[in-house]
Amino acid sequence: MSGVLLPQIENLAAEAKTKSTQLRKGETIVEVDQSQLKNFIKRLVTETNARHLSTITGLDLDPNIGIIYHFWYERNTIHVKTFVPKTAPTALSIVDIIPGAILYEMEIHDMFGVMFTGNPWMNKKLLLPDNWPSDLPPPLLKNAKTAEIRKRLGLEVEKK
Amino acid sequence: MSGQTGNAAHKEESAGLMKYSAENLVPFGPIHPALKEPEYFKLILEGERIVEVIPRIGYVHRGLEKAAESRPWVQNMYMFERTCGICSFVHSLTYGQAVEGLTIYEIPRRAKFIRTIIAELERIHSHLLWVGLMGHWAGFETLFMWVWRDREVVLDLVEAISGNRIHKSMNTFCGVRRDMPEGMEDRIVERMKFLVDRANYYKQIVDTEETMLERTEGVGRISPDTAEKLCAVGPMARYVGLKYDIRLNDPYAAYEEVPFDIVTRKEGDVHALLKLRLDELIVSANMISYAVQHLPSGPIRIKIPPIIPAGEHSSHSEAPRGEIFYYVKSSGGRTPDRVKSRQPTMANLPTALEMLKGQTIADVPVVLTAIDPCFGCMDRMSFLDIETNRRWTWSGEELRKYGINYYFPEREKKR
Repeated sequence: MSGVLLPQIENLAAEAKTKSTQLRKGETIVEVDQSQLKNFIKRLVTETNARHLSTITGLDLDPNIGIIYHFWYERNTIHVKTFVPKTAPTALSIVDIIPGAILYEMEIHDMFGVMFTGNPWMNKKLLLPDNWPSDLPPPLLKNAKTAEIRKRLGLEVEKK
Repeated sequence: MSGQTGNAAHKEESAGLMKYSAENLVPFGPIHPALKEPEYFKLILEGERIVEVIPRIGYVHRGLEKAAESRPWVQNMYMFERTCGICSFVHSLTYGQAVEGLTIYEIPRRAKFIRTIIAELERIHSHLLWVGLMGHWAGFETLFMWVWRDREVVLDLVEAISGNRIHKSMNTFCGVRRDMPEGMEDRIVERMKFLVDRANYYKQIVDTEETMLERTEGVGRISPDTAEKLCAVGPMARYVGLKYDIRLNDPYAAYEEVPFDIVTRKEGDVHALLKLRLDELIVSANMISYAVQHLPSGPIRIKIPPIIPAGEHSSHSEAPRGEIFYYVKSSGGRTPDRVKSRQPTMANLPTALEMLKGQTIADVPVVLTAIDPCFGCMDRMSFLDIETNRRWTWSGEELRKYGINYYFPEREKKR
């Protein structure tokens, strides 16, 4: 079946004005522009067999935040990569296409500060504590320092 | 940005609550006898029936992903192993596979077999633990006692092989750290036979015992379509008939060489999950017997340099609870640039919320246990150093004030 999947992804990538790169055997990466992303994912899950979203990963790639959607089918993993600028971290939510993505988007919102428009639970916190100071950078960005976070949250441990 | 101050968040919460009257919102957790780990579920009821569930996780964050960025590659392996106290081996296995993918080295065949044996022992351990808990929550304590006694069989074997009952620390990059002890083969085969017998007996029990039938049959139904859309993994996908099993779909370790059958069921209720996990247990026991009898000889590991070449790679494998996923990015240094780990409970939580809808409050413990939740796994990341203990003390009075302020902000203002 994988013989069919990879040409299909190549086609989809060409239509989204980008191309797919084979990282190694069984692993394909497609870098898709934010504007094309929703359409790309919609066609990926409706037209190909790669319907299962493993998770969404956030990456701090200064000056951008990278978002990778990991899909798989049989022996193929497809990474759909997109970028949002750190200065305006807003992305379109894919919850209407894949309802199972809701918690993954909330996680990236907590950890990288990316706002997913269209996700109904964006106003809630999933992993961070309620008293998270609003002026601290989201914790998984590289400029967030563990020591400072601990200090601000009053979690410092006395050293013996 | 993510930053809402605590007070603003409270206001929003209470505004949302206005839609429902005070009687039909039931907070479940974070500390509740039915949850062994702290998580909070906001249950919105219509009469006895649940219509909406809103989760709030993150009470046991330990900050592993952040911590991984400042630790050497190999040290992270043992740190990620401590994500979970049940399926610990499969974490280090998947992280290891993700990192090994960035290098050029081949894993020795014997190491692959040993990894398979340990991973399957762990699956039996996890499934037995779950069957026991299920008996506990369904009100059938005898099953709980019996199953947990049999679980000791697996733990003893794991201890004999690795020296530890839970955190085996067997893995290392491109191999395993300990060889199988001499003369274990007969003992393992004999013990596996015992477990298969027990599992067959338990299957008979859950099919005939009325307590189990009444508590589990027809409870927590979902359709295959819903499960697929909500990205369910592992047993939660297989109990509605989806053939998701990474061991079969995308074989790793020695799963290509060890024959096994994938177990699926059609019914899609908690009872089906019970039988599915017991069947999987039997499959795993047979796999272990086969693997120890066909264990190839040769080296068990290759030593690799501490610097991992730059690149990105992902790996997934079938943990007892479902697909476990690791993504690593290296910039060619001694520490990773980014490690992402996604645990099966995180993937199955949307499905669990869907299962809860339409159930009565009394079924909540059964349904929540049904997904085999491991909230400790799910919450693995945030901003704390795992080497230091989390110290966050609140006096009872502070806690009470926080509670009042959280649920009734107006009342606090009047004072």
